[in-house]
Amino acid sequence: MLVYFAHVLAIALPKAMPWLMVAASGGHGDDHGDDHGGPGHLPSLVFYIEHYLQTGWLEQWVNVIYAFVTAVILVVLAQVAYRKREMMPGPFQNAVEMVVEGLYNFFHSILGKDAMRYTPFLGTLFVYILINNWMGMIPLGHSPSTGLEITLSLALLVFFYAQWTGIRRLGVVGYLDHLAGQPRDAITWVMVVLMFPLHIIGELAKPMSLALRLFGNITGEDTLIAVFVGMGIAITPFIAEFVGIPLQTPFYFLGLLLSTVQALVFALLSTIYILLMLPHEEHEH
Amino acid sequence: MEHFGSMLALAAPLGLGLAAVGSAYGIGRAVGSAMEAMGRQPEAAGKIQVAMIIGAAFIEALTIYVFIAYFVAMGKLG
Repeated sequence: MLVYFAHVLAIALPKAMPWLMVAASGGHGDDHGDDHGGPGHLPSLVFYIEHYLQTGWLEQWVNVIYAFVTAVILVVLAQVAYRKREMMPGPFQNAVEMVVEGLYNFFHSILGKDAMRYTPFLGTLFVYILINNWMGMIPLGHSPSTGLEITLSLALLVFFYAQWTGIRRLGVVGYLDHLAGQPRDAITWVMVVLMFPLHIIGELAKPMSLALRLFGNITGEDTLIAVFVGMGIAITPFIAEFVGIPLQTPFYFLGLLLSTVQALVFALLSTIYILLMLPHEEHEH
Repeated sequence: MEHFGSMLALAAPLGLGLAAVGSAYGIGRAVGSAMEAMGRQPEAAGKIQVAMIIGAAFIEALTIYVFIAYFVAMGKLG
């Protein structure tokens, strides 16, 4: 019921203020600064603030602002959960422990005994991206994952962490050996000329594909919801201006599912990239 | 090029649809095979599922690239 009212609120607000229709249903407003073609999205709180203050620079920071909001939410949750630890956990502590343990078990099934070392990074990545993706479903919220700057920086973080892991666990020589395709006999030594650039291109393609996948999925999902919000308002011009039909309701459920899957895929692929950098002997199953 | 806009408006969604057809076929095959494998070996369901999700992500990424290209093209359309 609460969710339903949230939908009504989300569609009533743009309806009440006609200039917002531009943001909801097309995206070529007067000062729309997106350089990636400007897909339509629902107006966020930052959009309203920008409209009243007219700062001129606030809206291009909207992804970064909401990324910080997500980070603050997670930090506060973690602090609250960490401060009052008890042997008999309450509902909140129980939920947090369940999430952490679930993530640990998941990464343990892939990384084996190295999971303890990499779960803090990968688990945080998963939770952070999940909340980031879900931010777009909150009324007045905006998903930071719809900005390439956020997803690309996350992907670059994974890239550098994976390279650093490779150098630290394999050593510099082992790392170069890994990049050269581990030449052991004459034929593979000849193949190094081919394999070395191939591996480097492959390593560079990983963050690009990670970033573009998350960006494209979440942008598509939010655009879909925004288009259906605009449609729901457009088909009821004869009713009062606060009313629209929540046509986007089914797509919220689709969005919840997609956001979870995308966060999972990002964390999973990061795990695989790190796993590929670890010494191989330990991981023969 | 007076017809540039209309050609682009026709071609970009068509390309996206074609990419979606290919991805749908790929994901359908991948998930179908994974389901068969899970039915044959229910005890390995977890591992198969993880591998399936990774594969589906790689297949789906191709459509997402087209989707981004679509937005770039639509941006050119103005």
